[in-house]
Amino acid sequence: MAEVILKNLTKRWGDFVGVDNQSLDIHDKEFLVLLGPSGCGKTTTMRMIAGLEEPTSGEIWIGERKVNDDLPKDRDVAMVFQNYGLYPHMTIFDNIAYPLKVRGTPKADIRPRVERAAEQVELTQFLGRKPKALSGGQRQRVALARAIVRTPKVFLMDEPLSNLDAKLRVTMRAELKHLSRELKVTTVYVTHDQIEAMTLADRVAVMKHGVIQQLGTPDEIYNDPANLFVAGFIGSPAMNLVRGSVKDGHFITVDGVRLSTIASEDRNEVILGVRADDINVHEAGAGDIDTPIYAFENTGEASFLTVVWGDQRVIARGDRHLRKEQDDVVGLTLNPDHLYLFDPATERRIHL
Amino acid sequence: MRDNTLKYVLVLPAVMVVFATAIWPLMESARLSATVGRLNRPGSLDQYIGLENYTWAFFEEPAFWNSVWVTGIYTILTVGLTTIFALGLALLLAPGGRLRSGVQTLLILPFAMSPALIGVSFRFMFNPEFGLFDAFFGAVMPPLADVSWLADPTLAFAVCVMADVWGWIPFLTLVLIGGLASIPQDTIEAAQVDGASGWRVFKDVTLPQLAPVLAVVIILKSIFSLKTFDQIFMLTNGGPGTATQTLSHYIYFNGMKYGQIGYAASVAWLMVIPMILLTYLYARFVFRKD
Ligand SMILES: Nc1ncnc2c1ncn2[C@@H]1O[C@H](COP(=O)(O)OP(=O)(O)O)[C@@H](O)[C@H]1O
Ligand SMILES: [Mg+2]
Repeated sequence: MAEVILKNLTKRWGDFVGVDNQSLDIHDKEFLVLLGPSGCGKTTTMRMIAGLEEPTSGEIWIGERKVNDDLPKDRDVAMVFQNYGLYPHMTIFDNIAYPLKVRGTPKADIRPRVERAAEQVELTQFLGRKPKALSGGQRQRVALARAIVRTPKVFLMDEPLSNLDAKLRVTMRAELKHLSRELKVTTVYVTHDQIEAMTLADRVAVMKHGVIQQLGTPDEIYNDPANLFVAGFIGSPAMNLVRGSVKDGHFITVDGVRLSTIASEDRNEVILGVRADDINVHEAGAGDIDTPIYAFENTGEASFLTVVWGDQRVIARGDRHLRKEQDDVVGLTLNPDHLYLFDPATERRIHL
Repeated sequence: MRDNTLKYVLVLPAVMVVFATAIWPLMESARLSATVGRLNRPGSLDQYIGLENYTWAFFEEPAFWNSVWVTGIYTILTVGLTTIFALGLALLLAPGGRLRSGVQTLLILPFAMSPALIGVSFRFMFNPEFGLFDAFFGAVMPPLADVSWLADPTLAFAVCVMADVWGWIPFLTLVLIGGLASIPQDTIEAAQVDGASGWRVFKDVTLPQLAPVLAVVIILKSIFSLKTFDQIFMLTNGGPGTATQTLSHYIYFNGMKYGQIGYAASVAWLMVIPMILLTYLYARFVFRKD
């Protein structure tokens, strides 16, 4: 039971800044996801919390204690490594039991606790094997069991699902979510997969170049992005970002297409953000803008229409029964309640 | 010519070279070991006496058992000490260790020296009049000043062991650095996070994963220690008395100095026994399937 507090945490290697003056309060029992593209400093942040990497400057607090000078073993955290870090020479049982053994748990307590952890991740029948004899998904569950076999102050998980195939990843995601709600331990979870972040997190910290861009609940991150980066990173397909201007309450693209009414004063250069979901597709003439289809894609659960204005592409999401052909003309309407404006210079959101 | 014939013709020269330089001498030495085999007695090289040379070594020659004893202690000490020092150095020098890797280059230096040269230089360093070590030990511990290291049986043996350990540490260190580097870093970090102290990480995670490499290193070094000759020859020439006479040196003495080539051959074949055992172990570790 502990909160984790990062104060002005910085990690530099020579001139290269891996994590830049990062401050973050992770609440007790919270599931916090660090989300960002590869190389943005997520792992570095997590390794500094674990004590595997020494910060260049800044403070790390776990619970009531500043842990900067504590060795990893004294920080009372449990970590799931991206490549699992299983002990290849030990059986699965011994792998899971190791944190208990080194912390001097009485022998009699070890077996039931290992068995319970193995049960929680459905590994019971593999306890006698070595890691090499397990599949990727099973190894991942061993790593998880080794973390949950005791109750640490904090769980740290570094892309634990990234080595699994797509189908297994979805299953394990649900398992993780279930487990985390059962265990109620402060968790820091690192991923570059926004779906994982959105589904698992209590709060998401979106990172770029070692800096947290926005911290908020999945809803806030999705519906209220703070800047262009967050807007473009969250959501699939990515939010449409269209360059243009606002004149007399209308947004006009740089190519002169009048898109939609918008509750904003006149502005010369802005970027309009609109999600595919918030563009309604009608028959030609029935929407605000008539436009030919550049490409039509049907995924079975939805259809996606790409249209092109000048050199800007926009994707709209249509009904799953919608059937169109390339060059067919459709009418599009932008949902005026879900339009975002960004300043192209600062990349920050302009609140309407 | 058919392809099949050709391929045998092509390997024939190599087979002949191996036969002439390895197989034939081996067979010839086996034959000699069953003869009277005195270099100074014509005809004795064909005078067969069965296993008498072997029984002579076993039952009539305290000097044989002395060199078995010397070789045994020498092997145990050099293997043990070299491995321990090399492991310590490797831990310091391996990726993630505490020393800068520039030191690694320096490390190879002693290994680049020939054992005979090591023998000569150690003899110099322990010279009671102008030896470096002698001066050093004398300064640190005055009672040790002007001790004739190589004249005292125990000290001479210790100097031989020291020279050997010094010469072999680099090679073993480099092999162990390679072994350490191949241990996945995240297993070590996982153990640290799991709560293990530095020593337990080493004992529970590093050492077991290093074990196969360590086994190979120990076996190889044992083979080299058992065969030690040139260093001893240059440093003490087996003396004082027979205090540092290893089996190789004993064989050399009997065969070359006393001309008892038949007897020397039989002792050489006795040495093959532990060698075969070690070679078998070595092959098992190197070619193990896992
Ligand atoms: N030991 C190191 N030395 C130098 N640069 C490093 C080191 N570790 C990580 N980096 C750099 O720091 C940046 C952030 O790395 P990391 O935290 O692993 O990113 P992420 O986990 O978000 O993909 C990367 O550009 C990486 O190359
Ligand atoms: Mg990473």
